[in-house]
This record gives sequence, C-alpha cells and structure tokens, in this order.
Amino acid sequence: MKVLVANRGEIACRIFKSLRQEEMQSVAIYAPDETEAEHTLMADVAIALQGERPYLNGEQILSIAKENKVDAIHPGYGYLSENAEFAEQCLEAGITFIGPSAEAMRLLGNKAKARALAESQNIPVVPGAQACQSVEQAQELAQSLTYPLLLKAAAGGGGKGMRLVQDAKALPQGFAAAQHEALNAFGDDQVLLEQWIHPARHIEVQILSDGENVIALGERECSLQRRYQKIVEESPAPGANDELRQKLFDAAKTIVKAAAYKNAGTVEFLVGPNNDFYFLEVNTRLQVEHPVSEYCFGVDLVAWQLAIAQGAQIDFEPQSNGHAIEVRINAEAPYSGFLPQSGDVAHLDWPNHPFVRIDTGVREGNQISSHYDPMIAKMIAWGDTRTQAIARLKGALQQTTILGVETNQTFLLDVLEQEFFTQGQTFTTTIEEKSWERPQIDEDILAQIPTGQGVHTKSSGQQEQASPFTTLNGFRVGP
Amino acid sequence: MSWQVIEKDGQKIRVAVHRDKRGTWISHQGIVTLVANDSGRQKSKQAENIIEAPMTGKIVSIEVEPGEQVEEGVVLIIMEAMKMEYRLKAPIAGQVDKVQCEAGELVDLGKTLVSLK
Repeated sequence: MKVLVANRGEIACRIFKSLRQEEMQSVAIYAPDETEAEHTLMADVAIALQGERPYLNGEQILSIAKENKVDAIHPGYGYLSENAEFAEQCLEAGITFIGPSAEAMRLLGNKAKARALAESQNIPVVPGAQACQSVEQAQELAQSLTYPLLLKAAAGGGGKGMRLVQDAKALPQGFAAAQHEALNAFGDDQVLLEQWIHPARHIEVQILSDGENVIALGERECSLQRRYQKIVEESPAPGANDELRQKLFDAAKTIVKAAAYKNAGTVEFLVGPNNDFYFLEVNTRLQVEHPVSEYCFGVDLVAWQLAIAQGAQIDFEPQSNGHAIEVRINAEAPYSGFLPQSGDVAHLDWPNHPFVRIDTGVREGNQISSHYDPMIAKMIAWGDTRTQAIARLKGALQQTTILGVETNQTFLLDVLEQEFFTQGQTFTTTIEEKSWERPQIDEDILAQIPTGQGVHTKSSGQQEQASPFTTLNGFRVGP
Repeated sequence: MSWQVIEKDGQKIRVAVHRDKRGTWISHQGIVTLVANDSGRQKSKQAENIIEAPMTGKIVSIEVEPGEQVEEGVVLIIMEAMKMEYRLKAPIAGQVDKVQCEAGELVDLGKTLVSLK
C-alpha cells in the first residue's frame, strides 16, 4: 500500500515511522516554508504544496494523491482529519481515507447530533446544553438546573466565549455578554446553557473498531489543561476505579457501534465528583495523546489504522500493563498566561532513556513560527506503577535541553513534582486555580555563568513584571 | 550554544548556555532561566509607546487609526492565539502614530504593532 500523509509536524513523522515498519510506501506533502522540515525528509517521496494554508487544501492534496497513484491518505489529527467532505472526495477518487466513513464523521462530528445519539443509547450527557435564543428562554431552562451554570457559544470550541454564571441574578448580564462574544468570535450568536460540573475530570476512552469488533484500549485521563488544551495525559486514569472504567468502556463501545464507526477513535467524557459521568464528544481520528495507550497496551495504533483500512479484523483481547504519562512540550510562556512563543530552536538535546518515548517533528535549528502549532514534542514515559512512570518522565525532562525559544519544560517539571499530581488529584481547573511561580536555577550556579549583565546578581524574576502582559487581557471565563 | 562545566560543593555540573539578542539562556536539570541583557531591559522601559506582539498569533482587528487620540487602557488591537482572544491596550495615553500590522496577519512574538506619540 502507498500512503500519502496529509499532515505535518510530529504526527506526520509518527505516521511515517509506522509506514516504514509496515514496509509501505510513503508520500509527504509540504508547505513552501517546510522544504527541509523533518516530516518532509522522512517519506519516500515529498511533494510541494502551493498557496496559503496548503495543509487544508483538500483539492490540491487529492490531485497530488492521484498523480502519485497513492492507495490511501492518512489525515493525522487536525487539518482535514475530521472533514467529512474530504473523506467523501477520497472515496469518489478511489482512494482509501484512513478514518471512519463520511456518514459516521458527520453524525459524530456534529455536537447536537452526537449528543442526541448518546441520549438515544441511554448514555448520560451534561444536563442542559440547549441553544437559547433569548434571556427568557435561558431563564426557563435554568429552572431545571442547579447554579452555577455555564454559557457557551454553540458554534464554539476550545473554551472560547465560555462564561460561568453563579446565580439567577447574574444570568441576564452573562447571557448578553456570551451572546456578544459568540457573535464576535464565530459570527453566530447562538448560546448554550448547561450544568457546570465541578470539580471535573476529563477521561476518554481509546477505541478501535473494524466495523464489527469494537475494543476499548483503556482510558486516558487528560484533566490537566490550560486554556482548555491538554498538557498532561495518562493511562490508567488516577480518577477512575474499575466500576467507572467499565461503565465508560461500555458507553464508548455503545456509541461507536451505534454510529457504525470504523477505525481508531476517542470517546470523551467528563467525570464529576461522585463518579457521575457525561458524554462529551467523539474525536473521529487519531489523538495527540495516543502514545499513552500504545505504551500500556503494547500496540501500534497507526499500524492498526492501516490494517483496518485494508480490511483486517481485530483479533486480540486488549491487555493493559503498567502506567504511561505524556507531557506536551510547547513553545509558550507558562508564567505569562501560556502565550504562544516563536523563535529559532538554537539548541535541542533529547535524552535517551529506556521506557521514554519522544515524538517530535522539530530538529535543532528549526524555527517555531506563528504559522503552525506551538507544540515542539510529546514526551511519554512508561513504568510498572504510576510512581515509576512519574520518576522516569521527570528524569527525562531534567535531561532535556531546549534553548532559543521559551517552552513550558520547567513548568511541566514543576507540575509533575506537585503533591496534587503525585496524589492523582487532577481536575480540569487545577492548573488555573493554583498560582505558579517560576522555579529558578540555583543562585550559586547562575553566579558562575557570565551573562550580558556582567556579573549576575539576582535571579531574573522581575522580567515578568516588566513584560507587556500587564496590559493584556485574555477573555478567559468559565471553568 | 555551549556546555559549561562548573563546580559547586565538589559536584561537577554541566550547564547549557545560549546567548542571543534577548539575553542569556541557561538550562540546568530541566530548569531554564533567561537572563535578559542590560540593553534589552533598558529598551523595554523606554519603549512604553511601542506596542509589540506579546505572543505569536493572529491579528483579529485593529481598533484604532493613525492620528487618533487614545486614553490609557483603550483597546488598540485584538489578537488571537490558541483559540483565545486578547486585547492589547494602550499602556499610556497618546496619539496613534503608526499601525504596523494588518487584520488577519500572523505575527511573531516581539513584532511592533502600533506606536504612540
């Protein structure tokens, strides 16, 4: 089989590794500014894309696929991976789209439809979550719920335009503001009102389906987030007992079967303080944090995606072993609101440890630019126990050197050392509820390094105060 | 970039050091510190009238025009990054001198967006 990878960065590199191991031919596509990017150099053939936002240009990608006589397209995550129209166009062109059918994607990709499907299968969903046209309608819906409530843009995602409402008195004003934000951000002023689940854990189930057999490859807890984006992911979930785990697996399998879903996918749930759980959504693709499950179950999920696309049957009982944790190393300023950073990766040195995996698409000398995702790498460690996995991950992070662009490396290390983390007390709001202080290099060590300041006398903590972030207001509302 | 070996209490410690226009980056045991250059720090103090991109992201809209008089705290630019919106406000009152970005543009950290006078 000859496979074109319609993606870039670490995930394209990840897929090329499996293609090589499965002895399949590979085709890379690359944007004009990525002629020497890592993913460009990993395939048998690399074809240049043209124009703006080229990784989203399905038409161009399909014509490259046809010219190069590829059998299948792997979309990775993001870009065209959840685009049902593109999946359909692949099918029409006689090219296998490595993912679910367009129908399954349309059904599960639409939040309202997916929610209705879950409800029809008696899977709990977050109470409320109905579109309200007016304050009056919101007030009526609010009567069946318990404050605090959450308002969010119907067309939204990624936490944008979310707003927490503490009581009935605050609803009218909150509703108007949410409507305004939704209109500004998405050009659509529809607002949803729903029950706020707090404290909540984010737990998701990795499923694999060949169309007939559906298996759950464990769950992943991804509660630790900043700006509604995950930064630490692990399996098994510290916040799940066997009873809850089984319920989540059953619910995930049920919804996937009901949608006639084929391929790898992830069913996401919110878990409340009393082990109450609520279906959130299905991600109809390979997920960023899939290596965590690969480590625990000893499987290559990409290889399975390729096999299923070729008609293979799932013929094994999933067996989990040990514990795996992933951290996402991003070019960002964690002590200044996690703002994305850019610049040249002047120095990059990864450790080489047993039981530590590093998935990256960045090499030393590469530029982290505003055109792409600021993720530099994923670092994943496995251990017999959670404690051992944490120790291995910390050890690897300590021996990583990334200089020239600010990253969250120091912050991640700090998170792994916190008591809430070692005790598994991880919730979606944990990161933002805590105040964080940048750990500093030992003064005695700093004093021996010549810097631009001549002799270094005091740690540079004041840098943060002098930065322009004091004049910056993110609209960051809700939980 | 260079590796420097220093000694502390009899222990030999290897530290990674990199110097660029922002200052000296030092990495040891996973902790990274950027010691800003003297010159860099002075510049940022003098340049209150220059509004630079505080992050990598997209310009959503420009709320002011050259020549316009603005109060301190007035929103000049709306930027977007990581699916969130940020409002860049005037750090001081003044007149908008130049606008050096366009709506829809992707900008890198540190790019000058607006200058006041």
